[in-house]
Amino acid sequence: MLRVIVLAILIVINFTLQSTIFGFHDINSITPNLLLILTMSFGLMRGRREGMLVGFFSGFLVDSFFSSVLGPYMLLYMLIGYINGFFHKNYIVEDVLLPLIVIVIDDLIFNFFVYIFSFLLKNRLEFGLFFTRIIIPEMLTTALLTIIIYKFYVFVNKLLKKNAED
Amino acid sequence: MKFETKKDFSPKYLLLILTIICIILLILSFFAKDSILLIKKYTNKFIVPVQNSINSIGLWADNKLENLEEIEALKKENEELKNALAEANSTITTYQGKLSELESLRLLYDLDESYPEFHKTAAHIFAKDSTSWFSTFYIDKGSRDGLFPGANVLSGEGLAGIIIECSEDYAKVRAIIDDSSSISAKIMPSNALCTVEGSLSKYQDGYLVVSNIDKDASVSVGDKVVTSHISERYFQGITIGYISEINLDSNNLTMTAYLTPTVDFSNLSEVLIITDEKKY
Repeated sequence: MLRVIVLAILIVINFTLQSTIFGFHDINSITPNLLLILTMSFGLMRGRREGMLVGFFSGFLVDSFFSSVLGPYMLLYMLIGYINGFFHKNYIVEDVLLPLIVIVIDDLIFNFFVYIFSFLLKNRLEFGLFFTRIIIPEMLTTALLTIIIYKFYVFVNKLLKKNAED
Repeated sequence: MKFETKKDFSPKYLLLILTIICIILLILSFFAKDSILLIKKYTNKFIVPVQNSINSIGLWADNKLENLEEIEALKKENEELKNALAEANSTITTYQGKLSELESLRLLYDLDESYPEFHKTAAHIFAKDSTSWFSTFYIDKGSRDGLFPGANVLSGEGLAGIIIECSEDYAKVRAIIDDSSSISAKIMPSNALCTVEGSLSKYQDGYLVVSNIDKDASVSVGDKVVTSHISERYFQGITIGYISEINLDSNNLTMTAYLTPTVDFSNLSEVLIITDEKKY
């Protein structure tokens, strides 16, 4: 139960940070994908089920706020969380390289799908430009933040585990 | 590989169930918009206060830092402004004379109607789109303050966007630089009609795209682009920006130009909204 509450708070905080302070002064800016970091971290640390659920609710918030239909971001975040759960068996507490590789690929997939569904289908064909100007900067900022935030999530996870065992 | 039923199978079923929920919601959003709006409304009601409080923390810290730096600069600026004010006062008196002349001429030509004074209200921006792809943002006023979907949003002298969703005390604005934005406009001295479209790829260089300009129109770099009189949702005569590059299209019938917007979207925190509705 405590885990559910903590996760819910983490999702809300990450969503609000992503939509307010980061890039607050710049309407058209690169925003690090904090919710993706959260989804990836818990998918990696706790397996498919939790990654999937965290992704589902993260996507729900993004959808209900920023898209005209409910569903697409939910599906995207959820599937990424689920797939990341497969790496749970390779998870070692001290390892930072695995989450870093996973988040880079995740972010690439995430933005690639956003590009396909809301730009390619509108006949915006300059993928190279979008790739160098939007996807790569976002990937780098997200990866950079992962190094810091992931450690914090590992710590939170440890505390929650301890609490569950007591 | 060993299978433990509880551990290995339930995530798959859960995935299936959640995917079905997503698809149902997707279908619902196309065919039963009202129920989706209700869901959105309740989640947003819960999130908006959190966003506002986080925002105010950020702005407060930002303010404190700026205050320290700015006291010195402000003193200097104050002196300069006092001098400027004295100068301005003298020019005002000359302009007042000209204005009364202008007004009487306008009355003469019955042009008064086409330049109405708008009722405006100011609002703060409290959230922006959470991905890097779209240029939509949220403002902290809604239908309670007389806003409605389709209201024009200004910043300073220029057009900033349009309200696309409106709730009781907040509203969602699509900026003119968003990839799906498209505005009917005209280029000023020559009165040539055109369409101003946002483009994510061109905005990387700071431009919007102005398309469908007649090839015979005499348009030159530096011309002002304003919203047109045939637009359904935008009031006429609001400045959008200035032309900075013109090319002839390959169809040899129209020209396409690039436009630099007057609004600085990299540093936007307050906007003005026109609360009048455009009537036909």
